[in-house]
Amino acid sequence: MRRRDFVKGILAASAAVKTAMGQQAPASAVAPVAPGTPPPVATAPGPVPWMRGLLDAKPLPMTPLVADAVAASEGRFFSQQQTATLRRFAEVLMPPLKGYPGALDAGTPEFLDFLIGASPRDRQEMYTEGLDKLDVEAKRLFGIPFAQTGNWQADQVIRPWLRSWTNDHPPTQPFTRFINVAHSDIRTATINSQAWSAVAVAAGKHPPDTGLFWYPVDPDLRREMAVPRQELNKRSS
Amino acid sequence: MADETVDVLIIGSGHSGGMAAKVLTEKGISCLMLNAGPVADARKDTELKPAYTLPFRGFMQPGVLPHVFQANEFNANTWVDEKEVPYTYDPAHPYNWVRVRLFGGRSLFWSRQSFRLSDYEFKSKSHDGYGDDWPIDLAEMDPYYSRVEAIFRVEGRPYGIPQYPDGNFVPDDSPWPQCLQRFVDAGKKFGVPVCKARSSLGVNGLASSVNLLLPDAFATGKLRAIPNVVVRSLSVDKNTGLVNEAHFVDRISRREMSVKARVVVLAAGTLESTRLLLNSKLANSSGVMGHYLIDQVYGPGIVASVPEARDGRANPKLTGGAALIPRFRNIDSKAKDFIRGYALNVFSHTDPMDPRNFAEYGEALEKKLESYNGSGFTTGMMGEVLARYENHVSIDKTAVDAWGIPALRIETHYTDNEINMARDAVETSIALAEEAGFEVLSKNYDPNPPGYSIHELGTCRMGDDAKTSVLNKWNQSHDIKNLYVVDGASFVSGGWQNPTITILALAMRAAEHLAGQMRQGSV
Repeated sequence: MRRRDFVKGILAASAAVKTAMGQQAPASAVAPVAPGTPPPVATAPGPVPWMRGLLDAKPLPMTPLVADAVAASEGRFFSQQQTATLRRFAEVLMPPLKGYPGALDAGTPEFLDFLIGASPRDRQEMYTEGLDKLDVEAKRLFGIPFAQTGNWQADQVIRPWLRSWTNDHPPTQPFTRFINVAHSDIRTATINSQAWSAVAVAAGKHPPDTGLFWYPVDPDLRREMAVPRQELNKRSS
Repeated sequence: MADETVDVLIIGSGHSGGMAAKVLTEKGISCLMLNAGPVADARKDTELKPAYTLPFRGFMQPGVLPHVFQANEFNANTWVDEKEVPYTYDPAHPYNWVRVRLFGGRSLFWSRQSFRLSDYEFKSKSHDGYGDDWPIDLAEMDPYYSRVEAIFRVEGRPYGIPQYPDGNFVPDDSPWPQCLQRFVDAGKKFGVPVCKARSSLGVNGLASSVNLLLPDAFATGKLRAIPNVVVRSLSVDKNTGLVNEAHFVDRISRREMSVKARVVVLAAGTLESTRLLLNSKLANSSGVMGHYLIDQVYGPGIVASVPEARDGRANPKLTGGAALIPRFRNIDSKAKDFIRGYALNVFSHTDPMDPRNFAEYGEALEKKLESYNGSGFTTGMMGEVLARYENHVSIDKTAVDAWGIPALRIETHYTDNEINMARDAVETSIALAEEAGFEVLSKNYDPNPPGYSIHELGTCRMGDDAKTSVLNKWNQSHDIKNLYVVDGASFVSGGWQNPTITILALAMRAAEHLAGQMRQGSV
């Protein structure tokens, strides 16, 4: 986001160059006023133009921190029981392997609480009903909540529902769909986490799932900002 | 206030609009191009980012772009948001309308697959009795295809197969990797041709209107363009019946404006061009405008593994590369439960396997992924959808877009013909893969929703009879002779082929016809 904010800063300043900073422009830059030219756009009142100095400010020497590096998500969507079930489910499906964090280390259950809480109702119901059924199955088979199952017991609950499937076509039976889609979500949320990336980078690898991110393409003034920054600085000085 | 009448107004800037602009301006005709979205510049508008820095860890914002399966959190801002430009449909029969409004349209993002239609498509009714023939044939289109293939630098290998017409190709002399050679041999056993695919190399990897067509048009000094204007309607001169004005709205400010034109060329994409004409209540004396919506069946296919490539043994001689199985059903014999046919995209993958191909988890899954790494082999169907009158679009007066323009209602669904074809595609894929010695890991028989292929076609079909078609064989309106529709709306049937090269060839041909008509004073 630093690049974005930087650009916005330039834009805000450039838009105001001819007004807020007009008094700083060299005399040669002042064009004769044509007949009928409207009056300058009014600037905010005050002893000093509000945008003064921004064009000369250097970008802050900071690398924005991703909140996951230091902070934990607060669960808001799943019930306490569902959260416990999800944590155990994620722990079983995606344990720490080969030095990479497991789902719990990556904050995956908490992230999914956020993601599913923000999702359409059908996705929410798939999760809540699926987590509840995991618990029901564990109690039916072993008389304990899923959250308290050992690895062998959890496997007995999960394995009958595992399927192979292709992109865009998950299983259609509701519980089978939940098991397999949630498994995929847990893997993705874990591998795409800051914790996983930190291990990858420490091992000399690129963060997983690095891609070309498109910012919103608006008809913004950036496109008319073909003038280099140095040139802008020169004009406003 | 400007009171100019432009010579040719082109609405849309993708492959078809770009081709029309290139042809017309190179013949000295002045054009004005309107585009509904902004000009994108990947150098300014993109940044390389890891998924963990995105708000949703790469999952994309929930509820956004529900019908764009191609969308992800990285590219979400490039697609049209259906909340901004909605369309309606029967929830039991959803439609995936996948749109890009950036300057250059969907030519910015496409698969580059470049196939000619054959006379099995142009003259499909003559072959099997269903539907309608086009008013043109392959021989008529051949010179235009050749010129388009030269511009787009289509790489291919000739086969002399009538359903997979050869063209003006950059020669593809690359050898088959061993696994694909085994698949070729398996195909021979089943009478299934496994061929080299054909695709546009373009220039510097891009094969778009914005680098292959529009620069030439702008270089003539005859093309001007306005981005970020959404055309609301066209109007006609009441005395002549000719279209003479376009009414549009500024996408950002919402200022309503209009421009006069001697000729209008619609190139906004099949459904947007049709929506504009329906909203304008023009050029539909036949009553078939909006009908015969077609696309192609995508989704069915298999994922397999080449056993010899597992456990670190994958190498360039064994794996990698792609093949194409052109339509082979209903050519010399009849399939038992469907007409027409499908093609199969075939890929040997050198990258990691998708974990969804294994019913495993935890450490056992990781071992599978490690073992199978680089051994993947997939097929994917591209199937013909029959042109049916009942598959249609209309204006839904209950819904409007962000600029108050009435939305499109899309009513279409697949039938047994497409479903049976899909089953055959998967079973053929399995048979060939197993014959080649591959392990089939997963399969899918279910088509993706209509529209997924992004190959919507046919809602202003061409024909010789003005009572049964919207356009004549030159993509010119039967009703309004200074109105042309040069995108995919003119298609009579779609075949299995990616339609881009055909759209380009038709747009080239239509623009040359238009230029001739203007020179003669007929338009």
